Amino acid sequence: MNILVPDSWIKEFLKTKISPKETADYLSLCSQSVEKTSKIKDDFIYDIEITTNRPDCLSVYGIARELNAILTNLKIPSKLKPYLDTKQLLIKSKTNLPLEVKISDNSLCPRFTAVILDKIKIKPSPAIIKERLEKVNIRSLNNVIDITNYQMVETGQPMHAFDYDKILNAKMVLRKSKEKETVITLDGQERILREGSIIIEDGKGRIIDLCGIMGAKNSAVDENTKRVLLFVQTYDPIRIRKTCQQLSFRTEASSRFERGINPEGISDSLKKAISMVIKNCNGEIASKIIDIYPKPQKSTNIQFDMNLVSKIIGIEIPKKNVINILNSLGIQTSRSNFSTLNCQIPSWRINDILLPQDIVEEIARIYGYHNLPSNILPTITKTKDQQFVVEEKIKTILKYIGFIEIANYSMIGKDLLLKLRLKPEDYLKISNPLSSDLVYMRPTLIPSILATASKEQKNKNDYNLFEIANIYIPQGQNILPEEIKMLTGISSKKFLEIKGDIETLLDELGIKNYEFKKANNISDIYNQNITAEILVDKIPIGTIGEINNTTQESFSIKNKVVVFDLELNQLITHSSVQKSFVPLPNFPPFIEDLAFNIKPETYVIDLINIIRSIDPLIKNVDLLDSHENTRTFRITYQSPDRTLTDQEVKKIREKIIIILKEKIVAIFKEK
Amino acid sequence: MQEQFISIKNEVLAQIFSAQSIDELENIKTIYFGKNGNLTKLLKEIPKLPKESKPLVGKIANDVICAINNAFEEKKLLLSKSVNTKSEWFDITLPGIKPKIGHLHLITQAISEITKIFESIGFNRVSYPEVEWDWYAFESLNMPKNHPARDEWETFFIENLKNTKYGIGVLTPHTSSGQVREMERVKTPPIRMLNIAKCYRRQSDISHAPMFYQFEGLVIERGINITHLKGTLDYFAREYFGPKRKTRIRPFHFQFTEPSFEIDITCDNCSGKGCRLCKEGWLELGGAGMVHPSVLKNGKIDPEIYTGFAFGWGVERVLMMKSGLKLPDLRMLYTNDLRFLEQF
Repeated sequence: MNILVPDSWIKEFLKTKISPKETADYLSLCSQSVEKTSKIKDDFIYDIEITTNRPDCLSVYGIARELNAILTNLKIPSKLKPYLDTKQLLIKSKTNLPLEVKISDNSLCPRFTAVILDKIKIKPSPAIIKERLEKVNIRSLNNVIDITNYQMVETGQPMHAFDYDKILNAKMVLRKSKEKETVITLDGQERILREGSIIIEDGKGRIIDLCGIMGAKNSAVDENTKRVLLFVQTYDPIRIRKTCQQLSFRTEASSRFERGINPEGISDSLKKAISMVIKNCNGEIASKIIDIYPKPQKSTNIQFDMNLVSKIIGIEIPKKNVINILNSLGIQTSRSNFSTLNCQIPSWRINDILLPQDIVEEIARIYGYHNLPSNILPTITKTKDQQFVVEEKIKTILKYIGFIEIANYSMIGKDLLLKLRLKPEDYLKISNPLSSDLVYMRPTLIPSILATASKEQKNKNDYNLFEIANIYIPQGQNILPEEIKMLTGISSKKFLEIKGDIETLLDELGIKNYEFKKANNISDIYNQNITAEILVDKIPIGTIGEINNTTQESFSIKNKVVVFDLELNQLITHSSVQKSFVPLPNFPPFIEDLAFNIKPETYVIDLINIIRSIDPLIKNVDLLDSHENTRTFRITYQSPDRTLTDQEVKKIREKIIIILKEKIVAIFKEK
Repeated sequence: MQEQFISIKNEVLAQIFSAQSIDELENIKTIYFGKNGNLTKLLKEIPKLPKESKPLVGKIANDVICAINNAFEEKKLLLSKSVNTKSEWFDITLPGIKPKIGHLHLITQAISEITKIFESIGFNRVSYPEVEWDWYAFESLNMPKNHPARDEWETFFIENLKNTKYGIGVLTPHTSSGQVREMERVKTPPIRMLNIAKCYRRQSDISHAPMFYQFEGLVIERGINITHLKGTLDYFAREYFGPKRKTRIRPFHFQFTEPSFEIDITCDNCSGKGCRLCKEGWLELGGAGMVHPSVLKNGKIDPEIYTGFAFGWGVERVLMMKSGLKLPDLRMLYTNDLRFLEQF
C-alpha cells in the first residue's frame, strides 16, 4: 500500500536539516521505499510503499518517527517532537449531552472512544489544512470532515464524525450485521451486507455506520450540522478484511484497519482532533469522553540474546550501538545479563516485533544493509543432476537441426480439448480462471502446438517448432497430479525428414537401440499409415506421425504437417555419453548393390533385418534406392582377418537371394 | 661453340621473358630441350670436341642450362601469381548460403545463463511441482489461512483437489513453495538449492503474464548470515548484468523471511538518473531474506543450529532488465510469433 507524505508536514514534527533527496534515500535504504518524489511549489511529496507488517508507518508521524531513528544513528542532528503538545487545554462545556453505547461483543471493537461537540459552525477548512489534504490527493469537504481525514493522514488513525442529531435516540449499538441487511454509504451506494460485518445502529434501528469502512449517509455531517460526534476506534482486522472482500469495496480507512491500528494511540489522536474541532469549527466539548476499552493492549517483552547480531547479521556491532538503535526506535532496553537485553516493545510495534529475529531486523536495517560487507559462500562439493544437462543438450541439438523453440501456456481452453476429442471432466480445472482460454491444465502439448502452427502458417510456409513442458495427469482428489515432461514438435517437412531429425537426435544422445514400429494404439489425430511408435530398448517413448485430414481441418492447418510427441525422461534415462571405439578394419570390404522386387506393403526394415541375420560377414545393409516395387540395397561384406574372395561373397549372395525368395518377400532382379 | 651457347641462352631468355602463359613456357622448353631442340643438339656436340676445349665448353653449357632453368622457374612463379589474380570475375557480395538453424526460446536462454552462474558457486538445480498443496505454497511459509499476505499473490485454485493434511490444491504463485520441499528432500544441511520453475498468478497486462518463470535460491548451513546473502546477490548481479550496473538492498517484508529485503538495480534506460520507466533511477529486481525460523521448523530443520537465506526473482524480469530488451508487452514471450522468436 502506498501513501503520500509531504516533506513540510514531516518537518512539523521532525527538526532536521536534511534535503529531500537525502530523506528519500535514507528512508528507502533503512525503512520504507520512497518510490517517487514530486515537487509541488516549495514542497516535496514522497510516494512511499509501506510494507504490510508496518501499519505504524501509514502516517506522517510514523514516517517522521522512522526518519528520526535513522538520522540519530547516522549522528545527523534531528529532534522528534512528541505527538501531543501537553500544553493544550481543553475547554469544558456546561452541557452534558447523552450518548448510550452498547457493544454486543468487544472482540468486534477492542477500543471505542467518542465525544460530542456542540456549537459547530460548518465552513471551509483553513488554508493549511486544505493545502495539506490536497497534497495527499484528498478532497477538502468542510472543516469537520477534513479534520477526520487530516488525522488519518497525520497519525494513521482513521476517524469518523457523525451528525449527533442524526443519531436517533442518542443511542449507538455496535453489533454484527445479519445476512441481507442494507446500508446506504456516504457515497450514495447501497450495500447489501452478509452476516458478520461490523455495523452501528441507532436508537431507531437504522444502520448509521459500516464500521471501519465508510459511514452511512443518514448520519453524515452536512452544512447544517450543529453538533458533532467525534468517533475514534479500532476494529477486528479480520472482519474488516472479510467485509471488504465480500462487498468488493475498500477505502483508505479500511486499508488501515485491516492492517491493524494501535489502540494505545487512540487517546492522543482523539485529543488532537478535539482541539482541532475547537479551533477550526468553533466547537465546544459537550459530553464526557467515552472510552470503552475493557482489555487494554498488554505490553510485551522479548529477551534478546545479543549474540544473535553477529550470528544473523554477520558482523560485530558494539552492544552500546545495539542499545542506541533499539532505543531510537522506541524499544526500551535493560540488561538482563551480560549478553541478554530485556526489550520492551512499544505499543505501535506489538504485532510486528514478536521474535528475537524481528529485533535483529530492526538493528540490521537501521545499521544499514548497505554498510554490511559482502561475503562469498564457503565452497561445497555436490553432484549434478543430469536431467537438466540432457534437457539443455536436447534443446541445443534441435536448434542446430533447424527447430524453433516455442513456449505456450500450461493452461488451455475447453475448445482445444474437444478438438482432440478429449473429455474436459477428466482433467484438472482452474476454479477461478482469468479467461476462458486458460482453464484446463494440459494433458498433452499437442493441441497447443497445432494452434501455434495454425496461427503462424500465414507468416511462414515452412516451420519446425518444438516445445518441452509438463503435462498434468490427475491422480485423484487428494493426490497431486503427475507432472510428466514432454517433448512435442510440429513440422511442415515430410515424415521421413522429421524421422531423420528424430534419429539424429537419438544418435546424438547416444541412444542406441531404437526402432520405429507400426503403432497400434495411437491418438486419432494421426494418419494411421504414416505414423510410427518410437521405441528404445523395446520401451515405447513416443509417437511420430502425419496429421490426418480431420485434424488438419479442425485446426485450420493448410498443409500437411508431421507431429512428434516424446517423453523427455525416457530420452534422459536412455541417453549416454559413453563412446565406444570399433577397431578400423585392416582389410578392404566388398561392397555390392543388389536390387529386389518386393511384395506391396513390405516393410524395408524387415528385409534389412533378414539380410543382416544371414551371415556375420554381412557388415552393413543400407537402402540405396527405393522406387515403386523395387528396393536396391548396398551390401557391405567384411571380414576382420582377411580380404574376402569372390567365391566367399558369391556363396553369401546366393544365400541372400534364396532366403528372401523363400520368405516370399523379395525376388532378386538380375541386371 | 661458346658463342653458340651464349647466343642460344640469350634467345631462350628473351622468349622466356616475353612468355604470356605457363603453356607458352612449356612450349619453349620443349622446343629447346626436346628431342630435336636446338639446345639438345648443341649439347650433343660437346663429346665431339677436342679434349682441351671440353672442360671450358662444358662449364659454359652448364651455366647456360642453369640460367635457363632459373629463368623458367622465376617466370613460372610470376605467371602463376598473375593467373591467380587475373581469373574470371566473381561477385563475392552475393548472400552466403546459410545452413538453416533454429532458435531457442528467450526464457531457455535466460535460464541457462542463470543456472550456470549459480552452479559455479555450488548451487544444485532442482524443480518442484507446479500444481502444489496450500501447505507448501503458503502455510509452511508462515502464511496461515486467511492471512492478508496471501493477497499479494493472486492465486489460481484447482477444482476438486484437496488433501486433509496439506490443504487445497493451487497453481503455485512462487518458487518459494520449493523451500520446505527441498528441506524435506535433503533433510540435513548443507542445502544450496536453485529451483527454476513455472509460476502462475491471476494477472494479465503488459508487464505480467498469467504464467511466468521464477528462480529461487535457498542456502541453509551452519553460520550463514546476511553478509553471505549480500555476497551471493552481488555476485549474481555482477555476472548477469555486468559491472556497470549497481545494486542496492533495502528493507522489505515477507512472511517467510526475517529480516526481509528487496533488491534494486540501476535503471539501464537512464543509467540511474531517473526516468519514467523506473523509480528514481532504480528498478526492482526481486525479494530476499533470511529464512524465518518458523519455515525452518516446518522443514524439520533446527533454527538453533542452522540459518539460511532465500531469494526469489522473476526470470522474465531479469531478462528484460539485462539487455534493455524493451518488450512492449511481456506476454509476447508466450504468444510465439515466429518473427519474434527468430530474432534471438
